[in-house]
Amino acid sequence: MIKFIGANKSFNNRLVLKNINLEIAKGEVIVICGPSGAGKSTLLRTINKLEPIDDGEIIVDGMYLSDPKTDLTALRAEIGMVFQHFNLYPHKTAIKNITLAPRKVRGLSRKEATERAEKLLEKVGLLHRRDAYPVQLSGGEQQRVAIARSLAMEPKIMLFDEPTSALDPELINEVLDVMVSLAKEGMTMVVVTHEIGFAQKVADRVVFMDNGEILEIGTPPDIFVNPRHPRTKEFMSSVFHIPIFNVNQEEEQDF
Amino acid sequence: MMITGVKVTLILLAATTVTSLTLGTVIAIMRISRIKILRVLGTLYVEIFRNIPGLFWILFFYFVFPDILPWGLGAKLNAYLHYPIVAGILGLTVDNASYVSDILRSGRLAIPHGQREAAISTGLSRVQQYLHVLLPQMFRVTLPPLGTRMVHNFKNTSLCMAIAAPELTWATQNIESLTFRGIEATTIATLFYIFLAGIMVSMIILLEKWWKIDVSSMSQSKA
Repeated sequence: MIKFIGANKSFNNRLVLKNINLEIAKGEVIVICGPSGAGKSTLLRTINKLEPIDDGEIIVDGMYLSDPKTDLTALRAEIGMVFQHFNLYPHKTAIKNITLAPRKVRGLSRKEATERAEKLLEKVGLLHRRDAYPVQLSGGEQQRVAIARSLAMEPKIMLFDEPTSALDPELINEVLDVMVSLAKEGMTMVVVTHEIGFAQKVADRVVFMDNGEILEIGTPPDIFVNPRHPRTKEFMSSVFHIPIFNVNQEEEQDF
Repeated sequence: MMITGVKVTLILLAATTVTSLTLGTVIAIMRISRIKILRVLGTLYVEIFRNIPGLFWILFFYFVFPDILPWGLGAKLNAYLHYPIVAGILGLTVDNASYVSDILRSGRLAIPHGQREAAISTGLSRVQQYLHVLLPQMFRVTLPPLGTRMVHNFKNTSLCMAIAAPELTWATQNIESLTFRGIEATTIATLFYIFLAGIMVSMIILLEKWWKIDVSSMSQSKA
């Protein structure tokens, strides 16, 4: 579904993505983790070409991103993206936020788009808030509306860029629940997150990045419990505030 | 004469409000465009029209503009009975549009980057991004200075008396010189200006209240 071949990218002569090779299958859930500045968000943003790469190639659903003939608008319509700061349109109600792109890009009628949006709002548990403006919604509600907005385009791939980092701890779960159910429905998902619990529950593979490089790819236990790379070990022990060998038990208790 | 004056002032106000907002929006979009030549042209426009008095542009469109038009168009314009009004509209428009464009541009800069990214990532084209996401927010953020500017533009319609467009101030002056009833004419004109500016300001305040809910949320999504 998504394939990176030797992708490189630099900002101001600093390499932020180094020789990225990664293949993501249809229906797979990939979690990208690592310290800040590792290039996780940049990697995610190259998939819908919000950030272009300098060399190498990225192939998404058979479309070559470096090919100038690739229709970027069509590509982006197939890829949903959820942001750390939600980025809902503040001048539109929840329902209008969701119906905008399906109507303008997919050419749905107002009625069709509204029906679809209402179904999605119901799915994220916010149908009763359909006419609220973003400012009237809590952070968790805003993020759930943002997820519904992406889903309304019926994308083949969903990208999540630290979707819970800006939320109060109590509001994180309502967003994660939506993401878990999405993963169970077989959506192809790439998620940048520090929510290890979420990764353990639904991730097929975890990608650990540091300094623009992919250091390790493996199943959640591989990366969280038995990391091989010294940098991964160091990161995981600091994430859990405890020695590595206790991690497994600690996480089991959480669930 | 007074009634004609009110009519002409209203025509000038209505026409220039529409044209200067439209032209100002186009110039603002040019100035934030990624195409360099558009940016340069837009900046050039603002620097030329903002840094020369509005009265000059009204005189320019009345006296100079017809002379530099080719194919005898100028002669036709000069023969046109209402050309002073047309020249007044042109002069006020180019002047006010330069301010409008700068105000709107500041509004664009105030919109968080994530708004455009969200629009891009759902597949909206550039035109759609502007129409549905950016422009509505630009007008909302800049409403207070934009509203003030439009009231200013209303008052500037009185400059058209310089080219004998029969608007309200011109009418007042004329009544004064023909009948020496200056106090009466000026009083009526004053009341009319206050009344109309009051209506404009009330409309702006209503719009501000109407839009308040979204404007206040913009600072939040910037967080």
